[in-house]
Amino acid sequence: MMKKVSLMVLRKECMGCHACEVACKQEHGLDVGPRLIRVIERAPYYIPIYCHHCARPPCRDSCPVEAISRNEWGIVRVDKELCIGCKACVEACPFGAMQFDEEREVALICDLCYERLQQNEAPACSLVCPTRCILWGDMRAIAEGMEQRLL
Amino acid sequence: MGELKKIRTACRSCHGGCGVIAHVKDGRVIKVEGDPASPISHGTMCAKGLAITQLAYHPDRILYPMKKSDTGWERISWDEALDTICEKFKQVIRENGPESIVIGQGTGRDYESFLYRFANLLGTPNVLTAGHMCYVSRVGATLITCGNLPVCDYEGEPKCIVVWGCNPLWTNPDEYKGEGFWRAYKKGAKLIVIDPRRGFLANRADLWLQIRPGTDAALAFGFLNVIIEEGLYDSEFVGQYVHGWEAFQERVREYPLERVEEITWVRRDLIRKAARLYATTKPAALHWGVPTEQSINCTDCTRLLTGLMAVTGNLDAPGGNVLFVPPPVRTVSEFARHQDLPPEQRQKRLGGEQYRLAARVALVTPKVVWDAILTGEPYPVRAMLLCGTNPVITRANAREVYEALRKVEFLAVADFFLTPTAELADIFLPAATWLEQNYVGDFWKRHGYVVARQKVVEIGECWQDHKIFQELGKRMGQAEYWWDTVEDALNYMLAPSGLSWDEFKELGYLKGEMEYRKYLKKGFSTPTGKVELYSTILEKWGRDPLPRYREVPESPVSRPDLLDRYPYILNAGLRIPTFFHSANRQIPWLREIRPDPIVEVHPETAAKHGIKEGDWVWIESPRGHIRQRARLNEGIDPRVIVAEHGWWFPELEGPGHGWDIANVNILTDNDLAISDPLMGSTNLRVLLCNISPCEDQ
Repeated sequence: MMKKVSLMVLRKECMGCHACEVACKQEHGLDVGPRLIRVIERAPYYIPIYCHHCARPPCRDSCPVEAISRNEWGIVRVDKELCIGCKACVEACPFGAMQFDEEREVALICDLCYERLQQNEAPACSLVCPTRCILWGDMRAIAEGMEQRLL
Repeated sequence: MGELKKIRTACRSCHGGCGVIAHVKDGRVIKVEGDPASPISHGTMCAKGLAITQLAYHPDRILYPMKKSDTGWERISWDEALDTICEKFKQVIRENGPESIVIGQGTGRDYESFLYRFANLLGTPNVLTAGHMCYVSRVGATLITCGNLPVCDYEGEPKCIVVWGCNPLWTNPDEYKGEGFWRAYKKGAKLIVIDPRRGFLANRADLWLQIRPGTDAALAFGFLNVIIEEGLYDSEFVGQYVHGWEAFQERVREYPLERVEEITWVRRDLIRKAARLYATTKPAALHWGVPTEQSINCTDCTRLLTGLMAVTGNLDAPGGNVLFVPPPVRTVSEFARHQDLPPEQRQKRLGGEQYRLAARVALVTPKVVWDAILTGEPYPVRAMLLCGTNPVITRANAREVYEALRKVEFLAVADFFLTPTAELADIFLPAATWLEQNYVGDFWKRHGYVVARQKVVEIGECWQDHKIFQELGKRMGQAEYWWDTVEDALNYMLAPSGLSWDEFKELGYLKGEMEYRKYLKKGFSTPTGKVELYSTILEKWGRDPLPRYREVPESPVSRPDLLDRYPYILNAGLRIPTFFHSANRQIPWLREIRPDPIVEVHPETAAKHGIKEGDWVWIESPRGHIRQRARLNEGIDPRVIVAEHGWWFPELEGPGHGWDIANVNILTDNDLAISDPLMGSTNLRVLLCNISPCEDQ
């Protein structure tokens, strides 16, 4: 079985520069509106909001038309063709990460830069971060990353 | 569909230098990403740089030259635009002399060497930059103190870092990148943060000194006092390489910790702890921010902080504050041909006699230009060329700036958009972004690198600023001093390295060969060959050779008479990670993150005025009032209000575009009496204010 990948932002090391947000918008060609990763500012604290690609995703369970699934890499995905725009998933996400594209009336979520992953490239957000606080990979890689940084 | 090309270049969305890989398809940049091979940024990028495609291809961007006619802006050719400017310049030179022309720039798109070359050959000593209160002021003060600008040596692994009025993670200022600071810090360096506001770094710091805004020079005296009293200085260095140590110590003793505590609001035990930590942890680097410069204390504070680096033996020591060795390319000064400005023209520099240090670094303080325009004294300024600058928003006393720019007989502006400043112009020149230019980037910096900024695309009829100056120069009779193409000029710049522009851009960057503690061989580049804490140059100029603290001109201490009406200290100019001064407000990705101008108010203070989180708030100073949106912040002193700078609203109708709604410089003062006596640095940071909730929310 394929290892499951995920993404984690070390909140203590996020300093609120928003570079990840713009890198994500650029990578996904998103305009104003949906913010697949977002940093809320409460100086001196910065709170990153993003999809945790939960093992049992409440968004998936809430979807009345089974438009949300978790793929073999553990990445939660929304099928835009199936989505009916009811926003049940937006309500269900405990992290406030599920986004909604008002123009197309579909739900939208971080796909961990799936296309990049397939080419062995890291998610766009993680590359630009000046404090390198965005970790990704399988659980072991994330745990190792955390350990290194907390030294 | 064309092929995807990846081109290496260097960002310039702020002071720049971060390595970028631009993705180009069908002649259009579709994406930019960080270049992992960059020795400066290691693949990281900030929000501003990442949003460059939205700036370059913005629907409001002006892509061709324009002139203002009775019916509004009208498209013209480059020939007509340049001829119009040159005709006017020639007339002014004939009737008044070249000094009646002011050439100006903002914080710069890395073209200062071309701008100065043009101005010097034109014969005008009046170059108006941000340098009087940003960076160049620091260069000027350190040149006379230790011969060069000391820069943190993060790669040398400091064990203690003092972040003095700065947020390097957000602003990536000058020679620094937040990423480099962070890596050094994460290797276990102790962190001392001096900041009126508890930000991300203050919150993590080993010691946070919550200073009264504007009193940095007094705090520096406090540090020095502890270091001298407790004998924590490097006596060998001081003995051999400091000029005027006795006299300097005497001056320091005038600022005992009790007095410093009273001035700065920082508890004396905390000052003592911080000074001990800095002086006893080796190596230690001090990272200074621009608030220390935008003040009446600019020169003296810089000299004091240089003193701290010197007496602790951290000057030019690995991991301390070092004098980087530049790569083997021509110097800015040589390229700019400062030597060609005739002495009689130099003597006509506006404010030159008073602001000796500003004159030494070849610039003028803005107020003298506005005065010359508005009063004709000491002689009229009739024509201006402003390049990438928006002084209506970014210079103190914005109403006066607006009035002066409206009045000046002829104004040409080179920029990307019709800013509130550009709207006042007669001629608009469309400038190229960093994606559209070839240049030896970071040419002016003192961090030991130059980087290849390579043209990725061409957009509309935009020209890189360098070409604008080169072509204007040729039309002004300077043809023999310019080249056919910008690339020819770059070959000249690079010549000492033996590289051509084509070779250099393949290489990506050049690094100077660093040598530490150069003073052991050749001393410091000052008249005495030592670090002049007692300045022989200032002495020669008839100024106080020793630094001192001057009370903030508009503070509860200096102006108790104003406190009834203006009971709070306004700390103006909080930096924001999405904007570069007045730029970027029209970029959708960035404005979504930061839609409104923010004023931070302590919750107790807010409650007193019935202000709630998110309310629009009036901020009033003796000069006027503006509105910004309240954010409550427990991390500031209840007596202090913190406001953002640089705000205008591109989405509002021209010509004003809301220049006076939230612009913090409506509130600031540019009176020369409250500017730094040597640099003319304007006080953009600290003044008295009052706040109240806006009636209409």
